[in-house]
Amino acid sequence: MSFMERIQNVDSRIIYILLLIALSLPLLRPIGIPLQTDPMVRAVYDIIESLDPEKDRVLLSMDYSPGAGLDAEVSPVAVIQHLTQRGIKWAAISFGTTDGPMMTNRIIADLEAKGYEYGKDFANLGYMAGEENAVRLFALDCLSVPADVRGNKTDQLPVMQGIKTIKDFAFVMQFSMSTPEMWIRQVVDPMGIRFATGTVTVSVPSIVPYYNSGQVKGVMGGVSSAAQYELLCNNPGKGAALMDAQSMGHLLIIVFIVLGNIGYFVMKDKKDKAAAGQ
Amino acid sequence: MRKEVPLLITFVVALIAMLSQVTTGNVPGLGVAIPDVFERYISPWMTVVSAFSLCLASVNLIVVHSRNVSRKQPEWIYSVVLLGSLVIYGTWCTYIQLNPDDTAASFGYSLIYNYILSPLMTGQWACLAFYVASASYRAFRARNLEATVLLGSAILVMLGATPVGGVIWSKFPVIQRWLIDIPNMTGQRALLIGAAVGSFVACLRTMLGIERGHLGIGGS
Repeated sequence: MSFMERIQNVDSRIIYILLLIALSLPLLRPIGIPLQTDPMVRAVYDIIESLDPEKDRVLLSMDYSPGAGLDAEVSPVAVIQHLTQRGIKWAAISFGTTDGPMMTNRIIADLEAKGYEYGKDFANLGYMAGEENAVRLFALDCLSVPADVRGNKTDQLPVMQGIKTIKDFAFVMQFSMSTPEMWIRQVVDPMGIRFATGTVTVSVPSIVPYYNSGQVKGVMGGVSSAAQYELLCNNPGKGAALMDAQSMGHLLIIVFIVLGNIGYFVMKDKKDKAAAGQ
Repeated sequence: MRKEVPLLITFVVALIAMLSQVTTGNVPGLGVAIPDVFERYISPWMTVVSAFSLCLASVNLIVVHSRNVSRKQPEWIYSVVLLGSLVIYGTWCTYIQLNPDDTAASFGYSLIYNYILSPLMTGQWACLAFYVASASYRAFRARNLEATVLLGSAILVMLGATPVGGVIWSKFPVIQRWLIDIPNMTGQRALLIGAAVGSFVACLRTMLGIERGHLGIGGS
């Protein structure tokens, strides 16, 4: 087998090993490639910066599971850190997956370890079954969830005081593994709330029409958005640490695609010439 | 009656749901606004039904996998693992719900989730990176015009979306942004509008009883 034939058919295991190396090395020895901030990410940052910690409350819809990996997990962490740094109170609820409350609990455990107070600074209202319908029901009556995940009555939580409908929240953000159509259909358009979304990278192109139409005010897509957000907050964390690895991984994939195509064209040329000579 | 009653319920509920979006008028004879009927009565009821469907899914899972185990079907051992996990996790969660003050039980429950279930799910997702790398290498060949356009766009978006692209050439992020904002958005909007019209037609078919898949009795 010639070299050109070989680069067209590289064994998968070689690709796996090289990718593992390309992803691992930057994690062990970060390169520090500079990041550019996406306008959709800055929009989320600007909204949170514009909120008043004294009176504004934020609702987070935590609709992702560990099954979406760090791509879904790092964005909410970055946004919640920003909220708590600014002293903005928030409540979380889940409609899309039963994993949501557990994912929220993880973030809350870190915040409690730093001295923030559950119930006063934030609350986890748990999972509400019914997906799209539940979103609408909660939007019309936020006390339709009788208790939070710790068994506290929702109407007695300090963070929920004065909240009756979703319009009482100054900002609503959904973190999910897909697109936010159900929020747009049931709440954003009929009730006119300020809404942004965080999702996995692969879903961002599907959300762009909603962002450009103004229905979604900001979009965070995966690890890269989280990294940009962390840097906007001057608080580099897991997202920023992963970006070098992501860059190297993408670069390796591009190198393989280019090599595969070079091999393909050289071999095609040879075959064409051989066919013409016969 | 087994067909007519469910079809009538479907029609009435769908009609109320549809009218609640376009009118604030009252239900004739009842003096209650149509949106109120939907939001006060039908909407909470749908949430209860959804909650029950979660229970039904668990029951279904138990029935299917118990059968696998009792008949010693191929790979029945995985069914044992699934049933064991379901029973232990479900019982543990129920105990925590009934005893919210038992912090040790709650901590143990979180440990299972955070250190067994979560790494397994995240690991499964991470493995995709390797398959995607291998699949893109084999699939992205410039065999014809369409494949070449796809290949070129994929490379430009990948380079523009990662920080290293901006370091190589500052225009990569600009090109990526244009590809996402213009050609992608145009296609996405066309898809969304098409899907919306399709959904509306499917809803009408269900409402009028032409489509009966939800009753388990097939089409017309």
